[in-house]
Amino acid sequence: MNYRKTIFLTAYSASIAHIASAFSIVEILEVLYKEKILKYDVNNPNWDDRDRFILSKGHGSLALYTMLSEVGFFSKDLLKTFSKPNSVLGGEPCIPNIPGVEATTGSLGHGLSLAVGMALAKKIDNKKEKIYVLLGDGECEEGTIWEAVMFAVHYKLDNLIIIVDCNRIQKMGTLKSIMSIDSWKDKFNAFGCEVVEVDGHNTSELKSAFKQKNVNKPLVILADTIKGKGVSIVENDPRWHWRLPNKKELKIFMKELNISEEEINECKKLI
Amino acid sequence: MQKAYINSLYKLLQKDKNVISCLSDSGTDYDEMIAREFPNQVINFGISENNKVAAAAGLASCGKIPFVYTTSAFLAYRSYEFIRDDICLQNYNVKLIGMGSGLSWSTLGPTHHTTEDIAILYTLPNLTILSPCSPKELEQCINYAYNHIGPVYVRMGMSNEKEIYDENYKFVFGKNNVIKEGKDVSIYVTGSIIEEVIEASKKLETNGFSIKIVNVATIKPFDKNSIINEKNKYIVTVEEQNILGGIGSIISSIITENNLNIKLFKIGLNDSFAKGYGTYKEMLKMNNLDGDSIYNIINSILSQ
Repeated sequence: MNYRKTIFLTAYSASIAHIASAFSIVEILEVLYKEKILKYDVNNPNWDDRDRFILSKGHGSLALYTMLSEVGFFSKDLLKTFSKPNSVLGGEPCIPNIPGVEATTGSLGHGLSLAVGMALAKKIDNKKEKIYVLLGDGECEEGTIWEAVMFAVHYKLDNLIIIVDCNRIQKMGTLKSIMSIDSWKDKFNAFGCEVVEVDGHNTSELKSAFKQKNVNKPLVILADTIKGKGVSIVENDPRWHWRLPNKKELKIFMKELNISEEEINECKKLI
Repeated sequence: MQKAYINSLYKLLQKDKNVISCLSDSGTDYDEMIAREFPNQVINFGISENNKVAAAAGLASCGKIPFVYTTSAFLAYRSYEFIRDDICLQNYNVKLIGMGSGLSWSTLGPTHHTTEDIAILYTLPNLTILSPCSPKELEQCINYAYNHIGPVYVRMGMSNEKEIYDENYKFVFGKNNVIKEGKDVSIYVTGSIIEEVIEASKKLETNGFSIKIVNVATIKPFDKNSIINEKNKYIVTVEEQNILGGIGSIISSIITENNLNIKLFKIGLNDSFAKGYGTYKEMLKMNNLDGDSIYNIINSILSQ
């Protein structure tokens, strides 16, 4: 399945989206939803015993919507309504009308705190479910991330798995140029988390990371990713944070994502 | 008020294991005692209000009923976006308990005063806002908040509030409570400052004026009918708030929208932070919100 093709075509039909941010997390979501890491029931999205996944970097929504439709939470036709009037699928995910979406996100620095509340509730009730939350690395500049990490460590929330999409790029440039972040590993370690580093586009490495034991402390998976992964002109270029290709660039997208003229024309009908 | 809150909370913790008291280093010795008895139901988040507010939404999403307790200024101002996005937008069953509202933290100055919380929180969809004036009313508001499914903000003073109600008093959600009837002016008041209004009204009555006092304990949804059916030509609002966005502003909108023939005067902070330091009473006096000041303002209105 070419998830990036679906993401791009959905974005193209809507005339705008955060495609590069969605491209960098495709494999993370693929492993979570298709490799039996997350426990869920598409026929009963609010099943009490499900694991929960929160996309804290809500602007990666298209990757999440694509994966939720892929595994059957909703029909693929719903993707065609993305960001259009009367659709439930907005640029940033909002509950409660999207089956499979656990939290409203969009403003950065909220998802991890929502997740620690969920993880704490499960601990209090002696339940086994796990809470997974995906952060952007730029998002980790928000102060609440570290409030929540301190809390998760203090309360020994080992049912909490924090994945950081380390694509090293935020809207206006590289993280390094904007906030001189040297090592997320050192920072999360210093706070007392169990930390593993993986290639965020390598599904077998991701799968092993999700199975890492973390006793009495939250697990942090630092996923080394490429922002815009899958389309050469988008990769590692901050200018693609919030834009779609022009005519010339579109040819490159079509070639590299294996998109036909017919498929583009279908999208144009939806615009 | 704090004691009344602790008593109410204690009963709820006993009654329902899903009730969670969420502190941010904001409790008292009583909270520590309660925490020993209910270790899984009293959680100290440390000094991190924003994480606490968002985590409360996460707790509520798993069936818990969090009571998020801290100084109302830190709750309403620092955590505004978290209250908006995580609790109100997602409509979670979280109870936000703001203590020390108004000028209660008198000596600590404007960073600790809560004089704009009504103005900013009134605009949030899904949020119910309660503002009890006495310990008995607070207890009933806390019980109401527990039984109400959805986000509630309860603002409470902490200035050794006297009990103004007898044992028969019943808080009625969404209804303003007429403390006493009167024909010359209606004073609408919210929160602890009601004691000053009662004092002022006694003095006004010695001058021959007939004063109606209305306690506004439910701020949102506001009891519009109490204004629409108001018989008096003058309304004076009294609040420990900036008059921009407080109950005076809410009542002003109701008067305008319903084309009512009522003259409105607002007593509060006139687009300013509170001046000075001192006891609660001294703060009220310095900011023209004590019984004497309220008396003087209303006396001059009625003597015109």
